[in-house]
Amino acid sequence: MIDSKQAAEALADIDDIVQRLRQSQLYELASLAALWWGVLVFAGNFVTWLWPIYAVYAWPAVDILGVGGLVAIRLLTPSQARAAAFDIRLVLVFVLFFAFGYICTSVLGHFGPRELGAFWPIYFMLFYTLAGLWFGHAFIAIGLGITALTLIGFFTIGEAFPLWMAFVNGGGLILGGLWMRRI
Amino acid sequence: MAELDDIIHQPLRLKIMAALNALPVASGLEFARLKKLTGATDGNLGAHIETLAKAGYVSVEKAFVGKKPQTTVTATPAGRGAFARHVATLQEIIAGRQG
Repeated sequence: MIDSKQAAEALADIDDIVQRLRQSQLYELASLAALWWGVLVFAGNFVTWLWPIYAVYAWPAVDILGVGGLVAIRLLTPSQARAAAFDIRLVLVFVLFFAFGYICTSVLGHFGPRELGAFWPIYFMLFYTLAGLWFGHAFIAIGLGITALTLIGFFTIGEAFPLWMAFVNGGGLILGGLWMRRI
Repeated sequence: MAELDDIIHQPLRLKIMAALNALPVASGLEFARLKKLTGATDGNLGAHIETLAKAGYVSVEKAFVGKKPQTTVTATPAGRGAFARHVATLQEIIAGRQG
């Protein structure tokens, strides 16, 4: 028989492994989301760079496909099987996110294409970084990294800014997603 | 007086059972994922999974994903029950009712 100290250590080991499992499940889900958004954002920026007049169609398509993909990933990922079949809060998060962004960029301010191209990634990455304070350092690294590169591009890159953002934001999310799968 | 389960009590087997027990019923973990979670070596992990499988606490399924072999380990109902009893016993020891 073991003493109470050894029993407490065994329970601590159990808590630790469960915590690590939860973290790994979260990274698995987040990596799929990052890969999905990365591909879409890459495409959106690439279209904006090649055919700027179609950007007005490209970005709503990116947003709709992005949110739809996230809902699908959440419902189809086996580790989420215990979650409710459909969590309306996930959709509300995005409604609030886009509404607040719209108020900032089009009501309070009147952002041009270049400002919009910088604002949305930085705004998105703010939530990524904040989430990282609770859910893992990878979110913080990806959030701060993409934010910094976006700002560097905004202040230093000329007309090729959308192309820069395709690689920085789209490519950054894809690389970040692949990285989270390896942690 | 409840007894600790000798099979589960071994530290690596305790980690394996804790991870599998935290999953939804009938869900399993791939060998590579368990290895990463527990920090064990291939040989060590394989040997302890075999011990758990012989006791009927886990089931092991081998399949091919593309051309890659994939081993998935799942806690059986018996394994979940044994793990729950083991944890309850640990809690009793801490509460001073045993030990």
